[in-house]
Amino acid sequence: MPTENKLNEEILNSIAEGVITVDKTFKVNFINRVAEEIMGYKKDEVIGQFCKYILKCDLCQTKCPIGIVLESGTNLYDYSSVIYNKNGNRKPIKLNAAILKNSDNKPVGGVISFRDVSELENIKQGANLISNFFGIIGHSKAMQEVFKLIMEISESDATVLILGESGTGKELIADAIQATSNRKNKPFLKVNCSVFPQNLLASELFGHVKGAFTDAVKDRPGRFELANGGTIFLDEVAEMPLQTQIQLLRVLQEGTFERVGESITRKVDVRVIAATNIDIQKALKEGKIREDLYYRLNVIPISIPPLRDRKEDIPHLVKHFIETYSKLYRKTIPDISDNALELLMKYSWPGNVRELENVIEYAVVRTKNDNMIEISNLPSLIKDLSNGPLLSKKIFRNENAATVLSLLEKYKWNKTRVAKELGIGRTTLWRMLKQFDLVEK
Amino acid sequence: MSEMLGNQYFLSRNFSKAKEAYEKVLESEPENDFIKKRLIICHTQTGEIKKAFELFYEVVKRNIELITKTDIVADDCPCPELISRYGNIKPDEECSYDSKLMLGILWLYCSIEKSFEFFDALAAEEDSDIKIKEIRDLIKEKINQSKVHYS
Repeated sequence: MPTENKLNEEILNSIAEGVITVDKTFKVNFINRVAEEIMGYKKDEVIGQFCKYILKCDLCQTKCPIGIVLESGTNLYDYSSVIYNKNGNRKPIKLNAAILKNSDNKPVGGVISFRDVSELENIKQGANLISNFFGIIGHSKAMQEVFKLIMEISESDATVLILGESGTGKELIADAIQATSNRKNKPFLKVNCSVFPQNLLASELFGHVKGAFTDAVKDRPGRFELANGGTIFLDEVAEMPLQTQIQLLRVLQEGTFERVGESITRKVDVRVIAATNIDIQKALKEGKIREDLYYRLNVIPISIPPLRDRKEDIPHLVKHFIETYSKLYRKTIPDISDNALELLMKYSWPGNVRELENVIEYAVVRTKNDNMIEISNLPSLIKDLSNGPLLSKKIFRNENAATVLSLLEKYKWNKTRVAKELGIGRTTLWRMLKQFDLVEK
Repeated sequence: MSEMLGNQYFLSRNFSKAKEAYEKVLESEPENDFIKKRLIICHTQTGEIKKAFELFYEVVKRNIELITKTDIVADDCPCPELISRYGNIKPDEECSYDSKLMLGILWLYCSIEKSFEFFDALAAEEDSDIKIKEIRDLIKEKINQSKVHYS
């Protein structure tokens, strides 16, 4: 009955799932519009063809969906599978399969209905992003790449050089590298090369013997000896004096060193993770860092993007810090208002994640219990963004000491540069430092 | 077991399961030539050459075109791949009687001339079955008919 067939066709074309029917020889005798769209075939190209050459579903290669129904006598529902369309593109689908029977209850055909679940898969993949990688929050592609790289190098003992601006979380990255490595249960020592006076750094790293220098009242092992078998994190490695750089190079190349004031060569097995926030190429040109050491350190470089380049991470970081500081200050701060978050998204975050953390801590302290963080709870530096230019002279009040500090750290306490960044004179900055009781350590 | 299930097994080249299903269906539908045609192939692949030939003989005697008019692509016929799996043996090459018989049967689905070569070689053997000679003659007759038709 042509009219009835036409009606059936209309019905099948009106549904949102792809539908293919086959006769008892498994040749396609009907395909609806959605199936044409999903598979990229036109009706004329598929009618009369064996379905296994059209549907190209992964199940067809092992066990035909209709075959499963024929064997088991039970229809398939929402079976996850994958098809390859006419152009060879992979499409995840959910399929149903059923048998069509005649009046004698004999199978005379089959029907496969399916829907494209590519979007759902994409969403799921998004949900599978590593949102908290050993305490590092990063949904952005750049951070996901960093996490992926850390996982990839987990079997390796190779030296890692972490590059990133101040406040980007280099130490957290080092922690993650150590925690995922084969040496995770071995000693892990951290040394900030910039905090030791130049003449003491070598002693700190390699140890000394009694009498090596005035204060060397007894033999003392260095950090490398203490970290033997494990890992050492050398933060601010570019601040290391050139003489110590040579000693470090030798440890990296041969695993040997001598304590200060001693001629006995000692051997250690220490994995080195180094970090710096300076422009390494510039430091090389200026001769602040030895080229041979740089190449030894730069076996696996990991660059952490500044927060301004991955602003999509800000909402996740904000949420994380709100949770952290709500617990710390025993408050219930459910969220941040859209307006306040919008403002945070506008800011350039020169102090990176550390600065954001300080801002959220400040805001949590300033927000009343059970309230959301509003613009009014943010530090003036951020608040003023909603009123006009970012860095005006009037922004400085007591509450933005953290921001000033982060700028000072960023520019290594170069007050001229900090003052320039803030758009104020050096004298004003000096007054502020005095007011905030900020002194260089 | 249904014909459709047999078809599914046949398409996935599971010849022993397809044979099982087709044999079951033939019990209730003894005139189903579509199944018989496929069952012949299944028997050749399950080592039952005699059974295959008996059915083949019956079908060819009745209507040789049921086999010769096979559309290799449209019917998803497995014969070319099965023949090549045996290394494209020639009729005059050293091989067992059963192998030649199997290839003669399978070739009829794809090339009537090739099939004739095998049945002609089999018929020339000393203890050749009369049925083999009959098949050879039927194939020869069909080839001649085609030549007349196209001349």
